[in-house]
Amino acid sequence: MEQNERLKLLKKILLTEEKEVTDSLIADVEQLSNTLNQPIELALKVDPLIDKKINKLVDDMPKKLSPVITSALKAEIKNSQDAVVEALFPIIGKMIKKYIANEIKLLNERINIQLKKAFSFKNFFRSKFGKRNIANEIIVNSNQASVLQIFVIEKTSGILVAKYAKDEFDTMDDDLIAGMLTAIKSFVEDAFKLGNQNLETIVYELYTLHIQNFHNYYVTAVVNGTYTNEFKDILEDTILDFAEKGISKEDINNSEVFSSRLKTYFSEQII
Amino acid sequence: MSKLSKKIALVGPFGVGKTSLFRRFIDDAFSEDYKSTLGVQIQKKVIHMDNGTALSMILWDTEGHEEISESRSSYLLGSHAFIYVFDLTRIDTYKNINQQIDFLKNNYPNVLIKIVGNKLDTVVVKRVKESLKDHNVNYDCLTSAKTGVNVAELFVDIAVDLTN
Repeated sequence: MEQNERLKLLKKILLTEEKEVTDSLIADVEQLSNTLNQPIELALKVDPLIDKKINKLVDDMPKKLSPVITSALKAEIKNSQDAVVEALFPIIGKMIKKYIANEIKLLNERINIQLKKAFSFKNFFRSKFGKRNIANEIIVNSNQASVLQIFVIEKTSGILVAKYAKDEFDTMDDDLIAGMLTAIKSFVEDAFKLGNQNLETIVYELYTLHIQNFHNYYVTAVVNGTYTNEFKDILEDTILDFAEKGISKEDINNSEVFSSRLKTYFSEQII
Repeated sequence: MSKLSKKIALVGPFGVGKTSLFRRFIDDAFSEDYKSTLGVQIQKKVIHMDNGTALSMILWDTEGHEEISESRSSYLLGSHAFIYVFDLTRIDTYKNINQQIDFLKNNYPNVLIKIVGNKLDTVVVKRVKESLKDHNVNYDCLTSAKTGVNVAELFVDIAVDLTN
């Protein structure tokens, strides 16, 4: 055997282990290089780590920022209490008022349903000999809707044809109310262009304007209290009944006679 | 005493002085500030006529439109009289006036129409009358809401026409 060949054989025997380690390192480096140079491969490795970090940051953010923001807000509110109160008071006041009014309305409707059930024919005999639930009746009566004013208004011109008002209730000039109501009504009906539909109610706080349309005129009732569907039904029937029995073509042209009839009719009604 | 209510609508282009005429008649007041009318404003004035009638004039001061056909028809419907106002200082507000009046006559028949040239205080009367003649404007009245000239007379004329 030649000297060179013997040296090779010796190298092979002595360096086999190191060569395997070197080859393994080269393979690892190639894999890493591939991962780093190919975005998809890199994303697969890195994205879960970033997501984990972001989730942790989101979880930690309120804990870390909250004390800073809270103390800044507290300081700001403390330094400008008047401004804050001034800004919030009307909004909160109105919200509370509307909330309470709405809750009373809902309560009222629930009580009405309960009372209807309670005073059903079946229960009539029972209640006759039992105790009446006066508390319920008081709640219902305390905010019961009532008609304060009625206007009969010519549809096209907005001219007031007749008017009835409870003695204690007075408003601004009736002719102007009739005109403006007609203008508002026309505006809403024109603006939304929904065929031949009519404006039927206008609500402001605890007052509701109930509007009932006829061919040549419309009737507006100013209602105070909780305007329930049940009350609306009764009012509609009452106005229809009046229109049927109380209005003739001649009356429309005679404001005084018409107003007198309106007063006679509605002052006798329980609504 | 009998009572009567009549709807009178003020119509015409922007800035001719409809609201100023309205205010002059209702409140006997005038303001140099110009605020464009949005939608409509309504006021009332009661005139006691010689025949014993108390006439409630319900005045609808409508927003201005270059073409009367653009006005909201529901504001004009049911009117007993129209006051068509134009500006004596702006020819563009009266050069096509006859078309506008024809539109009113065709769409609202049997309604009294008064054609009124306003801002009389700012023009030379002789010259403006010539211009109106050149444009075939058959006006009923020339007014100044600022000074009040002919304003009360205009509304009284309308009241008389509506009650006769």
